[in-house]
Amino acid sequence: MGMVQKRKKMHSGDTHLRRRWRVRSRKRDLDEIDNDLKTNAEGLINQEVDLDKPGFAQFYCVHCAKYFIDDQAMQQHFRTKVHKRRLKALEVEPYSIEEAERAAGHGSYVAPKKRRMETQPSKEEVAKGKKVKIELKEEKMTE
Amino acid sequence: MRIETCYFCSSKIYPGHGIQFVRNDCKIFKFCRSKCHRAFKKKKNPRKVRWTKAFRKAAGKELSIDPSFEFEKRRNMPVKYNREIWTKTLDAIKRINTIKERRQGQFIMERLRKGREHEIESDVKDVQRNIALIRSPAAGLKERRAKEEAAKMDAESDEEEITYVDARELEKKLEESTMDEDYEMLKA
Repeated sequence: MGMVQKRKKMHSGDTHLRRRWRVRSRKRDLDEIDNDLKTNAEGLINQEVDLDKPGFAQFYCVHCAKYFIDDQAMQQHFRTKVHKRRLKALEVEPYSIEEAERAAGHGSYVAPKKRRMETQPSKEEVAKGKKVKIELKEEKMTE
Repeated sequence: MRIETCYFCSSKIYPGHGIQFVRNDCKIFKFCRSKCHRAFKKKKNPRKVRWTKAFRKAAGKELSIDPSFEFEKRRNMPVKYNREIWTKTLDAIKRINTIKERRQGQFIMERLRKGREHEIESDVKDVQRNIALIRSPAAGLKERRAKEEAAKMDAESDEEEITYVDARELEKKLEESTMDEDYEMLKA
């Protein structure tokens, strides 16, 4: 005690994440990924060969919007925390411009829906006709 | 000219204010100030940031579902100027705003009232649990003990007397009954 309690902030915003926040290195947003899952998940899993992309664009995780160099790397990725965290984040419907306007008083509030998210099926399964489904979660009854 | 809404905090953006970001899929995100823009760049979720309207509505802090919200809308149809319509809409806007404000205020007051009820309940519980801090459990202990002992003594003496009396009476009764029986037997 007896010291100056307030610390002077000398390095506010000085973080290694600064570079990640730059517009240049923006990754796909959650609402874009949500749209991908709804419309074009199968097409993204079975992409045409693109020599510029890692692994020639043959190993793509739709949920994380990420290319991998081979199947082994992708399978390993599916077991990581990053991937699981992303699945969890996608469970709730993403925030949108419409929701911002509704919150501002243009229309009544609509609660975001909860979905069930699963890791994408393998390429063979997709070729056989399996689709990426987004099921609505049955909500627990609350009063 | 339009008063836009901020993507992050849902506040109004007047012409000449804020900044907008156009994503590479042509979606336009408008921000009222650098605070909101910075939060967006950090990929913060407005539903989880406590100072945004989205949070307040999602968490039930404010009136969120009401027919009075249905009037204000983005109407992309141009309307030809008509003085009568103009004055009428202005009046309607004022009235709707007063109604909306009243309802919102009422909602918040109702919410706060519930908090007051909880407070009273918890206060009562607190007093009951910690009554020892206000009134010592030892206060008047001696008197109470003395009283209890006196009561016990009374009870004991009463019991003794009763038993004593009972026993005598019983004996008497028994004797009488036997005597009666004897008499009856004799008579017979």
